[in-house]
Amino acid sequence: MKETDFLEFTAKELLVDANEIGLNTVFRDLPRWSSLNALIYVSRIKEEYNVMISSQQLAASKSLSDLYMLIQAVH
Amino acid sequence: MAISTTKGTLIKGIVTVVPENLEDNLTLDVLSRTDQKALVEHTGIRYRRRVLDAKASIKALFTPGINKILKELDWDKSSIDVLICVTQTASISIPSVACQLHGDLNFHQDVIAYDINSGCSGFVYGLHTVSQLLSSLDQPTRRALICCGDISSAITDDKDLSVRPIFSDAISVVALENDGGIETSGTFNLETIGSGQNAIFTAETANGRKMRLDGIDVFNYSVSHVPNNITRLLNHLSKPTTFPDLYIFHQANLVINESIRKAINLEKEKVPNSLYDFGNTASASIPLTLSTSWNKEAVSSGWILISGFGVGFSVASALVKFNPSCILPPLSIDL
Repeated sequence: MKETDFLEFTAKELLVDANEIGLNTVFRDLPRWSSLNALIYVSRIKEEYNVMISSQQLAASKSLSDLYMLIQAVH
Repeated sequence: MAISTTKGTLIKGIVTVVPENLEDNLTLDVLSRTDQKALVEHTGIRYRRRVLDAKASIKALFTPGINKILKELDWDKSSIDVLICVTQTASISIPSVACQLHGDLNFHQDVIAYDINSGCSGFVYGLHTVSQLLSSLDQPTRRALICCGDISSAITDDKDLSVRPIFSDAISVVALENDGGIETSGTFNLETIGSGQNAIFTAETANGRKMRLDGIDVFNYSVSHVPNNITRLLNHLSKPTTFPDLYIFHQANLVINESIRKAINLEKEKVPNSLYDFGNTASASIPLTLSTSWNKEAVSSGWILISGFGVGFSVASALVKFNPSCILPPLSIDL
């Protein structure tokens, strides 16, 4: 999986412009971030990449890069 | 996996009862318009039922349900041998809701009555327990009522967006009869994954006992365990996934239920849901979904697969013979 693909996927799921986010983006600062959108995002990651992110892993993650690495670790 | 077989016990009737009062997720004031729409689209839940009287007792929903099903089936109260309530929102914990209902409705003395503390997997656990109990009775005719459900709004923190837009008040009363037959009437796969005990729990707050839910944990436990639980059950019985006429899942939310459906590769038409109109109705969700989707004309094998999962973390599926003589649309009452 390429970084750009992951960022495009994330932009689409979290309803932001792909140009506005990068791997350093702190996802909790995004305007649409909420407990519900977190659940939808995690379920879409499972569907798209077949990777399950636990609530503990999410809590320990800050930037999109942290999530990208969790997905990369499986692929 | 704990596989258990029940013999000779059939579901004869289903009645569900909901409070008349509706809450609409599209007008939920704690969310923006965009988030309201996203919520309905992704959870599948638009309307939820909520008792108007914050002090309403679960008995006020069970009582009309019991009266209705006895009338519809033309069963005399004195023919009931077992009365079990599956609930987690009794107004008082002692005595059991089953014993209170037994007294209020004046059932006769020879009745086994107690409660089972169980949530979203509760209907399947209740059906298993009661089916085994009926088989064990030393008499020719045996009848039971299982009362399932919760007034979830009583333990909902209105500011908690993981809980409030999802849960809805409802109960079901399911009538069972055992004819002493030796033919299999259900095969159950019952599991507990206690490491998930913190996915859903209640905590004492300044406003009383409130439900806490970690949506991502619930999603992960559901998607990791429910499809396996179902496919192992079908494999054990050497049945293909096409065998059951319907798959009736606990109604968690659409994100979870669709993930489970896709994991087992089931057609949408085989997996009805009642989320849009009734939300997550805890242990009443499987009977309630049957009461809104059952079509006698579409029967092929005569078997349905039911699967309950959630608080515990508890997972229970069963392939059961299903041909009820009475199944009514949900009854709305002013409460």
